[in-house]
Amino acid sequence: MTAIERALYELNEIDGYACGSSLMHRLDPRAKTIVTLLYIATVLSFRLDSLTGIMSLWIFPILLSALGGISYNRVFVKSLYVLPFIALIGIFNPIFDRRPALTAGHVVITVGWLQFISICLRGMLAVQASLILVMTTGFMKICHGLRRMGLPAVFTTQLLMVHRYLSVLLKEAASMDCARRSRGYGRRHYTPRLWGIFIGQLLVRTVARAGRIHMAMLSRGFDGNAAIRSTMRWSAADTIFLTACAAAFAIARLADLSRLFNILTLR
Amino acid sequence: MSHHYVKFDHVSYTYPNGYRALDDVSLLITHGQKVAVIGANGAGKSTLMLHMNGLLTATEGQVVIGDIPVTPKTLPRIRQTVGLVFQNPDDQLFMPTVADDVAFGPINMRLPDSEVDRRVDMALKAVGAYDLKDRPGYQLSGGQKRSVAIATVLSMEPDILVMDEPSSNLDPRARRMLMRQIEAFDHTCIITTHDLDLALNLCPRTIVMSGGHIAADGPTPDLLADRSLLERASLL
Repeated sequence: MTAIERALYELNEIDGYACGSSLMHRLDPRAKTIVTLLYIATVLSFRLDSLTGIMSLWIFPILLSALGGISYNRVFVKSLYVLPFIALIGIFNPIFDRRPALTAGHVVITVGWLQFISICLRGMLAVQASLILVMTTGFMKICHGLRRMGLPAVFTTQLLMVHRYLSVLLKEAASMDCARRSRGYGRRHYTPRLWGIFIGQLLVRTVARAGRIHMAMLSRGFDGNAAIRSTMRWSAADTIFLTACAAAFAIARLADLSRLFNILTLR
Repeated sequence: MSHHYVKFDHVSYTYPNGYRALDDVSLLITHGQKVAVIGANGAGKSTLMLHMNGLLTATEGQVVIGDIPVTPKTLPRIRQTVGLVFQNPDDQLFMPTVADDVAFGPINMRLPDSEVDRRVDMALKAVGAYDLKDRPGYQLSGGQKRSVAIATVLSMEPDILVMDEPSSNLDPRARRMLMRQIEAFDHTCIITTHDLDLALNLCPRTIVMSGGHIAADGPTPDLLADRSLLERASLL
């Protein structure tokens, strides 16, 4: 399996998880979206050097993925894909902030390194929460929920289209890559000019395919707003889930859970 | 005359690059007819088909669907009347599950939820794909995708069904199933195809297109027996 086929498989796998019927799957998408946003806000509200506080929030993705019947290992592995991009954000902290923070034997850990780890951890947790939301809800229902919460249709339709055309782009890239490899005789390196031609062709093919899909949508009455069924019903379970999660995030934020845990285990 | 007719009145269409794909095409297809549109690649079949649904607008002449001329204002009604099944089902299936895809048209028609559900079930049963209801589109086989693509259009309860190359890329069994499905439809069916056997088996009438105009229009057995016509239209 090539890298592109793998990416397509991963994308389909995420959509596949959304067809489940666990406790998390049955909750209203709006409740799950609000909880995810609250979680991300809680993660980001910690000070950059407050590693223990952020670490204590790691328990929530593990719990929520268990409630959703999803292997946390899958969520963790998928979140690793974005780690390089997150790392880029904090890459300069260890260089510019060299104040000592901790000493382990002869090894001095600087504030910059703590901040770098903190940024990576925050990014990973935020991505994991978003992944669990998508894997237990489905992108379409999330957009539906956002629309019901008052987000303008132009944004939700854009989000749906981006999601749809991502797989179109990957499919076109996979078929082009297959054709390239079949006549490449093992050649792996190409000149920048050839790569430019590949990327240009990919763009042209994707736009042409997107045009055909758009025509299929128009022919079935699409008028610019993605029509979605209004089957969402807010239940008592959604209120309980939202309240319980909000309370748990507040406790995690206001009380240092790791310290409490240490006290309890020492007793 | 029934209201479910398709009329092309001296229709011509020129693409923005100057290519004249339809050249003075006139035809009338009446209610309940099953008509095959055959012709070589580039003969104008797909362009003709896109005019029936208002996805292309004639640069000259007029297309009328059941007393309604195809204009930007009449497009919503035209698209409810004419259901279009595209050549590549992957272009037609864009929602997360089969049920969502089949419901897409009825939801756009602003139908109540109970009616959307009824139509989804009805359309999927009509093509024998009810068991696939909750499956994601990308997991289906070629034949299943084709059946679901037809269901996405049937759920809009169109009066006229237009299909572009419905038998392409199908294995013999899936092709036989498709033919049985088309045979069972009461709709006016217009099928663009290279599959001459399919035309002969399903469509009593055939329109032969060549170079953007109608080269012949008549009973399918007669036209398919005319060797020189088929050669002129690059079908032999």
